Amino acid sequence: MIDFTFRSGLTPRFPSPSPGLPEKDEVITEEAGLRASAGRAPRVSLDVEEGALVPQGAPVARLRKSPDVCFVAPMPVRVARIGLMQGHRLSEIVLFREAGGDVIRHDTSQADTAPALRHLMQVAGVWSWLGRRPFGGMPRPDEQPGAIFVMATDTTPLAPDPRQAIAGQEEAFGRGLHALTRLTDGPVFVCQQPGPALFDSAPNAGRLRTVSSGPRHPQGATGLRVHALFPATIERPVWDIHAEDVAQLGTLIATGYLPMRRLVSVGGEALREGRLVRTQPGADLRGLTHRFAQPGPRVILSGSPLDGHAARWLAPRHRQVTVLPRQAAGKPPHWLVAALTRSAMPKPVIPNAALDQAFGAALPAMAFVRALGSGDDDAAMKMGLLSLLEEDVALADYVLGGEAQLPEILRAMLDRIRTEFAA
Amino acid sequence: MTRGIWTRETVVLMLLAAYVPLALFWLWYGGTEAAQRLGLAGLVLAFWNLVFLLARAQPISLAMAITALAIAMLAPEGLGVFRLALGISFGAVMGELVFGGWGRNVVNPATVALSFLGFGFPGYPWPEFLAPVAWATIPAALIGVATGAMPAGVVTSAALAAVGAVASGLLPPAVLPAAGIVLVLLVADPVTSATTLLGRWLNGALYVGLVTLFALGWQGADPVQYAVAAALLTSLAAPVLDEMALALWYAKRRRRHGQN
Repeated sequence: MIDFTFRSGLTPRFPSPSPGLPEKDEVITEEAGLRASAGRAPRVSLDVEEGALVPQGAPVARLRKSPDVCFVAPMPVRVARIGLMQGHRLSEIVLFREAGGDVIRHDTSQADTAPALRHLMQVAGVWSWLGRRPFGGMPRPDEQPGAIFVMATDTTPLAPDPRQAIAGQEEAFGRGLHALTRLTDGPVFVCQQPGPALFDSAPNAGRLRTVSSGPRHPQGATGLRVHALFPATIERPVWDIHAEDVAQLGTLIATGYLPMRRLVSVGGEALREGRLVRTQPGADLRGLTHRFAQPGPRVILSGSPLDGHAARWLAPRHRQVTVLPRQAAGKPPHWLVAALTRSAMPKPVIPNAALDQAFGAALPAMAFVRALGSGDDDAAMKMGLLSLLEEDVALADYVLGGEAQLPEILRAMLDRIRTEFAA
Repeated sequence: MTRGIWTRETVVLMLLAAYVPLALFWLWYGGTEAAQRLGLAGLVLAFWNLVFLLARAQPISLAMAITALAIAMLAPEGLGVFRLALGISFGAVMGELVFGGWGRNVVNPATVALSFLGFGFPGYPWPEFLAPVAWATIPAALIGVATGAMPAGVVTSAALAAVGAVASGLLPPAVLPAAGIVLVLLVADPVTSATTLLGRWLNGALYVGLVTLFALGWQGADPVQYAVAAALLTSLAAPVLDEMALALWYAKRRRRHGQN
């Protein structure tokens, strides 16, 4: 048991009505959208055509280079529209719910061997729920991770509590965890808030490790946990997966059916009441929010108020919807003022205590921000850049008023390093 | 989208809030002469900031008020308008503006200006501070640290080191007012002091160490003079202190995680 309940981090407050308890009934929106995670869209080949009926869990599209990795239907659907960009890159696939459709059962008879488990996860659509560091995105189909992080804590503002999400599924969660140990030779870390153990670690006692972290953001941020416990490198990537997804993997292995539900919190200033609902991946955000929002113009974000982006569909790994009032675009500044201030972007960052806390005292904050700002790849990599993604610096960017453009700079630096090392 | 508040100008405002007690006491006891020096420093700085705004589109920062206060309080007395303006111009331009404005500078412009005046025009008397002005550094440091704008490590370690040096008889207590005012105005500047935890502690201790050294060995110099010299050397050493702290941190991580 490793303890990380040190006093660091922040509790940024965002006005939002309380979400209350999880709603009893599942909320399945009439429409859903399949899209890839943030970053460069993958090339896909399609399994179905527009208008086809697809049972829940059946593949709709698969990666062109590795046809085992499937994007599956989150409910029984009729394919409404397929949007591909140039080069068969997946833009979005819009699905309409079809009442009374089937659910696909997967063959799980050999899931206790590592290659078969990998294949099962790829075919059943669990693969796209995995994240990887460095660089982010979905892991390659044949990749061996150095460690796997199971995130049973989420300190992002307004996030749903993963403990609540897996309540009642403890057995499946344990089964999923033990299955994950077959995918790596390294440790599997379960990051949680202090409290009772979530699983029984026998017979993988040496490899399944519980890590406690505090309640403030970013103590439970994936990137900073990875940075502190098992830094990701280019040769030794690290995977991460949400605890709820692990529980569903456990259910898939036991029954052959993959439950396509996740606990999603709907919060934000422009809501009359908050919600905590079980809905499908790729849910229609308007369907989740429209009867609960305040009148007036608003913007719906997939993700937290810190790092969310305006979207129509819930992004693949997101568990939060934030509804904010839409701010009217201000008057453009006078041309002379614009000319005199525009050249100084991004603005300089002044070291202050809030910035130190925004990295949870896990790394030398100001030195890291300066390395990012000056494009010093080597120093940033030494400080742990490869363990981090945009979501991990979102709090620091928020604290600095958004003038430092940290997520954009971090992404540009990661892309540059990836091309350099790929060459 | 909602946004946090810690932009460059917020930090400047917090620092200004910290300096309010110090400035008020100094102006109260300094009278019109002090106000005139402050006005002159502000005017020269405003001119150079305007030049760089128009020539290089460098946004103006309120930080020039802090620089003006530091120079007006600490510059040698009786220099006359021309010499003072020359020193302020050199400090503002070479110490800050050519690097891209406040936040991108490596040394505090006020430190540069004061060192320039001290070395360029020796023989002019350095200012002396009355006890109430010196005491006002304590609320200044407290406000600065509480708002998070001043590095807590620098201020704390300097205070502890000063207590130790005075107690052991190395540092004459007569130096403390000048050293304290220079500490809050020049050394505890968030931009040019060290930024790592260990680096900040070393930074404060190094400043007091240098002040003690000069007090012991620099014959015929005024307290403000060697406090400013110590501030200059400390801010030049700050990146080295940071590098040392980082090297230790890298080594610790390498031991724990293998490579990286």
